[in-house]
Amino acid sequence: MANTWWEIQVTCSPVLEDTIFWRFENWNGRGTASERWGQKSLIKAYFPQQQFCNVDLAALALRFQQDALCLGVSELPGVTWSLIEEEDWAKSWKKYWQPRPVGDRLLINPAWMELPKDTSRVVLKLDPGTAFGTGTHPTTQLCLESLEMRLSDPSAAALTLADIGCGSGILSIGAMLLGAQKVYAVDTDPLAVKAAAENRDLNGIAPEHIQIAEGSIEGLMVSEPVDGILCNILAEVIVELIPHFNSIAKESTWGILSGVLLEQSKWVADTLEEHNWTVATLWRRGDWCCLNIRRP
Amino acid sequence: MAKKVVALIKLAIPAGKANPAPPIGPALGQHGVNIMAFCKEYNAKTSDKAGLIVPVEISVFEDRSFTFILKTPPASVLIKKAAKIEKGSGEPQKVKVGSITRAQLKEIAEMKMPDLNANDVEAAMNIIEGTARNMGVTVSD
Repeated sequence: MANTWWEIQVTCSPVLEDTIFWRFENWNGRGTASERWGQKSLIKAYFPQQQFCNVDLAALALRFQQDALCLGVSELPGVTWSLIEEEDWAKSWKKYWQPRPVGDRLLINPAWMELPKDTSRVVLKLDPGTAFGTGTHPTTQLCLESLEMRLSDPSAAALTLADIGCGSGILSIGAMLLGAQKVYAVDTDPLAVKAAAENRDLNGIAPEHIQIAEGSIEGLMVSEPVDGILCNILAEVIVELIPHFNSIAKESTWGILSGVLLEQSKWVADTLEEHNWTVATLWRRGDWCCLNIRRP
Repeated sequence: MAKKVVALIKLAIPAGKANPAPPIGPALGQHGVNIMAFCKEYNAKTSDKAGLIVPVEISVFEDRSFTFILKTPPASVLIKKAAKIEKGSGEPQKVKVGSITRAQLKEIAEMKMPDLNANDVEAAMNIIEGTARNMGVTVSD
């Protein structure tokens, strides 16, 4: 069942913005969102419904008014609150998400949209839920394009891959649709594991062909070294994982690493070299890059 | 031609921990922004500031693409850090929980100047001092 949240809206002088943020923070808030409305600020904060009742919120509104008086702000803040369902925003951005071609062969199609009839591309159906990996981010696109290049060779058909930090499962599924034989996928986020399994089923791929588990590299259920390693997370996490790549790799293993900002690429490349890997190619898109790695 | 900005949203959220839950989901979802893409980019750019609140100002364009710039932490966060306290006072008029020096106040005001609606450092110091007072933090000379 979807969660219900209090949405508290405060309209006030910009001078009060920091004080109001602090009040919300003291209430164990998860941060605020604000927009300028002419000369005023509209600040919004959100709390689970069970955390507060109407009386609590009325008391908070009074606090804001006292804060304004203490700061010498003559116009008192306006405070309103209402309940919103979690689903409202979880879906709201999806309606703008359209089928998206990636590389030369794939088409990422939102799970809730009809399949295009006139495409010659391989269709990857996807509902990311709250997991990372929608196909719209440059890092995901770079990884899928790199996979396309790696798997374009007919001799690559029997490859076994590891997908560390699989998110929605988009890379694992993309790899299978492009011809890989088997993917072992892991993610530390249980919601991502759930989303990846659902997306695997959505694409008609058998569970034994994409084995998904909760965890990091040590959670991979590999019985022998893999042919390729996929890792699209963040530079900090990748740098921590690199020393462990050898435990699932052999001499011919390659890797596709992304989630790395261009300015972080040297740091990642240096760490790779320290652990007997080399960067074969670096692809860039915007601020992001994708490292195709192999043994020196 | 430059793309038209349809919304300018400021989020004050913990560095490196952005996710689709509130306040990010509702704030960006209503503008059609790809929330996960924003979260990934924000987390990448703030992961070295873990433990801090790092506000971000997001410009949303008419084609629902976005850019963002990172801002200075909220004054309350800087005040708590300077006063070496975990929390402000629930009753700031009666219970004082810490103090900062005027020099620290000026330092915070200078750091916050770009984000404050203040004409000079004196005006910025007045705003920060007011926030400190509301938190039960006094300013000593």
